Amino acid sequence: MFSVILYGRNDSHGYNLHKRGAISFNAIAEVMSDPDDEILFVDYNTPDDHPTFPEAIQDTLTDKAKKVMRIFRVRPEQHVHLKARTHLVALEAQSRNVALRRSNPRNRWILYTNTDMLLVPRNEKESLSDILGAIPDGFYQVPRFELPEMLWEAAFDRRDPAGNLAKLRDWSMRFHLNQVVLNHMPMRYDALGDFQAALREDMFAIHGFNEEMLLGWHCDSNLAARLGLYRGTVDTLVDKVFGYHCDHTRVAAANNKGRQTKMNDHDQFLWQVSTPYLPDQAENWGWPDLDIEEIRLDRDTAFERFAAGVGAAIQPASEPYRTTNLEWHLFNDLTYDLRHTLPFVCDQVLTYPRNSALMLVGTRADFLSHFAIAWRTMGFTGPILVPKECEGLPFDAPGVETGPFADLLRRTDMFIFEFGLATQGVNDPVRIGRSASPVDEQRLKVASRLFRQAVSLEEETRPKGRRLPRRFIGVNVIYNRFWPLFTDYVSANINPFCVQVLAGNPRIDPSMKGKVLRFRGRHAI
Amino acid sequence: MDAWRKSFDFLTGRRLAIYPKTKEEGAFLHAHALARAGDLKGAVATLNGIVATAPDVAAAFEAQGEFLDMLGQTEKAMSLYEASRKLKKGLRPGAPDRPFFLRRASRATAEIASYTSVVQNVKHRVLPLIARGNAFLSEGQPAEALTDYEAALKLKPGLPDVLGLKAEALLMLGRFAQAAATFDGACTAQPRNTDFLSGRAIARLALGRLEDADVDWRHQLDLLPRELASARACVALRLADYEKAVPELERALEKEPHDPYWQLYRMTALRRLGHPISTSFPELKTWPGPLLGLHIKAMSAEELLAQADTPQWKAEALFQLGVLALRDDPAEARRRFDEVVSKAPPSMIEYAAARHELARLGS
Repeated sequence: MFSVILYGRNDSHGYNLHKRGAISFNAIAEVMSDPDDEILFVDYNTPDDHPTFPEAIQDTLTDKAKKVMRIFRVRPEQHVHLKARTHLVALEAQSRNVALRRSNPRNRWILYTNTDMLLVPRNEKESLSDILGAIPDGFYQVPRFELPEMLWEAAFDRRDPAGNLAKLRDWSMRFHLNQVVLNHMPMRYDALGDFQAALREDMFAIHGFNEEMLLGWHCDSNLAARLGLYRGTVDTLVDKVFGYHCDHTRVAAANNKGRQTKMNDHDQFLWQVSTPYLPDQAENWGWPDLDIEEIRLDRDTAFERFAAGVGAAIQPASEPYRTTNLEWHLFNDLTYDLRHTLPFVCDQVLTYPRNSALMLVGTRADFLSHFAIAWRTMGFTGPILVPKECEGLPFDAPGVETGPFADLLRRTDMFIFEFGLATQGVNDPVRIGRSASPVDEQRLKVASRLFRQAVSLEEETRPKGRRLPRRFIGVNVIYNRFWPLFTDYVSANINPFCVQVLAGNPRIDPSMKGKVLRFRGRHAI
Repeated sequence: MDAWRKSFDFLTGRRLAIYPKTKEEGAFLHAHALARAGDLKGAVATLNGIVATAPDVAAAFEAQGEFLDMLGQTEKAMSLYEASRKLKKGLRPGAPDRPFFLRRASRATAEIASYTSVVQNVKHRVLPLIARGNAFLSEGQPAEALTDYEAALKLKPGLPDVLGLKAEALLMLGRFAQAAATFDGACTAQPRNTDFLSGRAIARLALGRLEDADVDWRHQLDLLPRELASARACVALRLADYEKAVPELERALEKEPHDPYWQLYRMTALRRLGHPISTSFPELKTWPGPLLGLHIKAMSAEELLAQADTPQWKAEALFQLGVLALRDDPAEARRRFDEVVSKAPPSMIEYAAARHELARLGS
């Protein structure tokens, strides 16, 4: 019957976003009763190494919310062409259009709201699907009622949406919450963007939201103006549904800077609107030709993929624990526990697009062979690119492609550099004062050289069309001689020794030292 | 002084009282002013006047429902909201090949009143003028619409969207030559705008420029996307191009299988192509049921014309009688098509189709 369209990203937009989001997702799912109903969440521009917002809070979502939710992940690389035109990190019009394009065509209605809304049918026996199924074609809005921050934060149980809706029915009267704020036509109400229900075919006819609106605010008013023109009227569902907004102004969100807030031009996008249509974006609104990843929370989850990948690559431990050691005199011992390290490496790549091409430069054959199994089993379809300069690595491992380093650089979406001892076996003891053999040193020298070259040439060797820096993952680069090398070139956080892994983008160091490092790296000296 | 006068006008309600053109619009504004001043009962009573004299104004029921809801009379309020929706549900929108503002079926009294208030408060902006103009147009008040569109054009001279609206108002006023010229300007600015092409085709047809009209309709047909089957079907019917109309109507019926007009027009097109027609469909007592009945010989011409008690229905009936007569009695068909052309507005599908049929019959 209807597709709810929401957007956001895995950040901290306003106060206690996670609770607001969970309350809202669960409450919206609760009032759905048609098998075609769906919540479409566009996760816009979350950093590649983070999970999407709903994935980050999935443990607080009900089974029903997980079942009806489809997440469309718009990657930073897909947003970067707009970056120079906006101060915002998440764009409403683009997000909502991406979802609209990919919504279930069997649904008659599209409902635009936000991840801090609870929609309460006035008749407890009716679902929102029932309500929307019974009303005539039109463009419907409801007034938004505010909920004091204390109420939703202190009294709502995230995983009890029915209880939360019942509380709202009680509080609405007890605390006089229901104040309708009227507004000029075509808005009809204040804060109209928290409930705008339009026919799916109308939204396609008017070419979706206006994607020129890049500065935040008034996208809802623009939609009301255009749909108000298209339909000739703005209808109300105030007799059927009350909408409650979890107020979150205790801490200002990124798009709220008080009187200094940058906004889309109200005059241009509301009062000077002269047509419902947007002919300039008629063919390309919602990025129809772009491959947007779809993520589900009820199947093939990140944890399922991780567990499958790591589980396929290594056997469970047979002892309660094993030890390593970071005492200073062991600084030059490059042994590490592969079976312990592999899960942390997999964690670094799991959130990336499945078709990513990954370059792996390393020294230990068993690292590559184990990682290759995990990579495939985690569902990655892109190749593992191993430069032919890396002697001793199993080039015939599944999913591995080899070739000259210089050629592979231009195909790579992210890098893993592993600095271990080629001669270490998977069952050898770890950090007991082992020295590197001549073979180990030779392999490490090659890996270091390729690392410095790759990171120094990163910007100029990006695959065609790619604009953002590629990520470097360093394995066994903490508290050993490769720590300064890796962090000279890569902006990595300080990580616990136990994880063995650092990651980040190439460092932009404008100092003389940085310039010298880059020069040496580029020319392999 | 001016500010003082405006305040005085506002307080005395003078501005509200003198501005609206019709009683219903005035009552709407008055009711809302009363409601905002806290007199909800007075507001409900004021709207009773509209409900009594114009029972097809759905927004009056809805507004009464809102006021009663606020008074705590929820049950009564709900029944009024439902009455409003029932009224809207029973209406058939305008032809899908025509612009969006002509497809609106429900009364626009409330919008005229609301946008009047916006026009007064948000000055020198085109949206309120366009929105109210469109509401006037859908209420069949093209002169008032034209005033608003011209005011909008003063603010944004040459704005193609408004030129197209102005041309439609001129078309509705019967000023076909001016309408065609205004559409020319709009089409020059936006040559792929199907609404402009549709309007210009009608204006050209009304001026007797059948071939020019056909150029526009054929161009419109080329531009309309495949998924807008019903719109494409209507254009094909205006051209009396039944070969093209049948598949479009069949696709329109896939989406809206119970739409009586798509059934009727499909039957018309099949008959004109000499194909067999199905005689089994659910009996439809309301219009256009009698037209379907005519095709399956369940109704005579006299009975049909007796039931066609609006000018639009009359034109539809005469057109179908012409189609039925074509095979055996071309003279009778010509007489029927002539009647359509003399009585129907040029914006009707039947008018255009009849003009094409007459052209084929020869003068």
